[in-house]
Amino acid sequence: MADAHDLTKTKKSFAAVGIALLVFTVVTVTIGLAPIFDFGPPGPDGMDFVLGLAVATFKASLVALIFMHLNHEKGLIYKILLFTVLFALGLMILTLFADIDPIREQFDTLQTTRGWLTEKP
Amino acid sequence: MEIPYEVTPRRDTGLYNAKLGVWLFLASEVMLFGGLFSAYVFLRLGIQDGVDNPWPWGVSVHKNFVWLGAINTIVLIASSVGVVFAWVALKERNWRRYQIYMYSVVGCAVIFMCIKMVEYNSKLNHHHGIKLVDNSVMEGTILNKTDRITFKGEKLTFSLQGALPAVLKDLQGEAFPKFKVTEGPEGSVGTEIQSLSQFKGWFADSRRAVSVKLTEERRRYRGEIAEGVANPKPVSVVSSATLTAAEPFDLTGSPRKIVAHSDTAVNYKDGVKVDGKLVNDDVTFEVHEVDLQLVLPTKQRDSVVWSVINDEHAKKQFFDSQHKKYEELLGYYKEHGGVIPEDQLRGRYLNVQYVHVAAEGHEGEHGTEDKHADVHTSESNPTAGGGEGEGKHGPSKHITVAREKIKFMGNHGPRYGTYYAIYFTMTALHGLHVVGGALVLLFFAVFGKKLYLKNPEHLANRVEVGGLFWHFVDLVWIFLFPIMYLL
Repeated sequence: MADAHDLTKTKKSFAAVGIALLVFTVVTVTIGLAPIFDFGPPGPDGMDFVLGLAVATFKASLVALIFMHLNHEKGLIYKILLFTVLFALGLMILTLFADIDPIREQFDTLQTTRGWLTEKP
Repeated sequence: MEIPYEVTPRRDTGLYNAKLGVWLFLASEVMLFGGLFSAYVFLRLGIQDGVDNPWPWGVSVHKNFVWLGAINTIVLIASSVGVVFAWVALKERNWRRYQIYMYSVVGCAVIFMCIKMVEYNSKLNHHHGIKLVDNSVMEGTILNKTDRITFKGEKLTFSLQGALPAVLKDLQGEAFPKFKVTEGPEGSVGTEIQSLSQFKGWFADSRRAVSVKLTEERRRYRGEIAEGVANPKPVSVVSSATLTAAEPFDLTGSPRKIVAHSDTAVNYKDGVKVDGKLVNDDVTFEVHEVDLQLVLPTKQRDSVVWSVINDEHAKKQFFDSQHKKYEELLGYYKEHGGVIPEDQLRGRYLNVQYVHVAAEGHEGEHGTEDKHADVHTSESNPTAGGGEGEGKHGPSKHITVAREKIKFMGNHGPRYGTYYAIYFTMTALHGLHVVGGALVLLFFAVFGKKLYLKNPEHLANRVEVGGLFWHFVDLVWIFLFPIMYLL
């Protein structure tokens, strides 16, 4: 059980994280709206996306580490989360297969190589 | 029943059971939302500027939701902080403070859901879009439900084998029209129908009669084949009916239920045909923004949208701001080398612009019914969306759009486009999590006293576990907010 001193420390870190989260929310909105944070060509594009997601990831890790105590947790939970992360990443990667869609690729080649019928055996 | 390891950790896991349980649950939740985020990435990457249904970035109406989203983010963060402090209060054995924190957390959840409702209501009931035949899009508001088709009906023709005709719900006027069955199965011709309940009764009877008749006929046909009759009479049963009204009745049909209509007939999706006379099928629209992403740059000046809007000033305003942004892009690419890429030329940055079609004429013209317009023009004020200096405008003109120029129209619901589909899926699922989590935390706050007196550590563990779920919900929103509202 945590003693009084520990709890005061915990409270302080919770409050600090809370304030940090609020500040970074303002940062997120500013990045989304203010023209000075519009990196790359004007208008929304990949650069803005990376920046916005980086801030969101930072906020999310603050919540996970401090509020959800993932900075000091038992090994078993990390093991569970390792698998979760792997599966979640797998789900993300699955969508990338759409970019190497063999059916569409074949179709594209057919479009560009006219006269393919005569060349086929 | 005694559940072991509620407070003391198990030796092999090092955790009390509930904590292990909630982490397993959260692991599955991560994968659930992970799949949806993956779907988002897939849809977003699949959008080709100038080819597909546009992602609504740069649309000022959409950008106004940023503030609602930002407030919601702050509300959720506050509630997350509240949960950890409630937990600390329990550790310090301070029941009163614990309750205050927990109730404020639940209060935050309520505020979150209320703001969400405002947002949904706005998207579903106040913001509409019309895609015209050449794929130009007008964003704005369809006024007074004018997307409905008003019709003077004389005759109803429908099948007696399916469900009750959907058209019944579209009949207007206090009194149910007086119908007479003019065509239909034997015996029912000539029946008079004066009320809805009478209609339902008659419909049910006739449907039963048709199905009985059909069974008999089939049996006869099979029998004749079995007997070896050379050319048995084919099965034929009158299974539809026509009702003629004593005098024309008013009909207001929702376009989602209607397949097609002409000057003399309306065809419903369930196969019902109404004969009569078209009264009005024009749509009254208040345009806020013109989106020409799907129109080739060379054809934009002759787009159908300009003949519909019919306002030279608005047209000029569109192309002026487009030109300004073009110069901006050009400047950027001059500085960094290279030419403006094709997708930028056809993208939303250049081709979605705010226009204001001012109401012409005298003040008196829009005195009575234009209260609505004022509300909407202020709501769609583009200054929040970064449009510079376009904010000054009075009431907008209500333009009339002929139905034959419309390819698609609707509210900003899930079927409006891929963005709205994924937006509603993810935010609604997240909203359900907020409600669920809040209910659990409310339970701990209201009914926790007994457990607190018995074993405060146990209650603290419960709150910690409930809090873990709550933080997860917050975490999902931290990602949802930028990807749905900002980027």
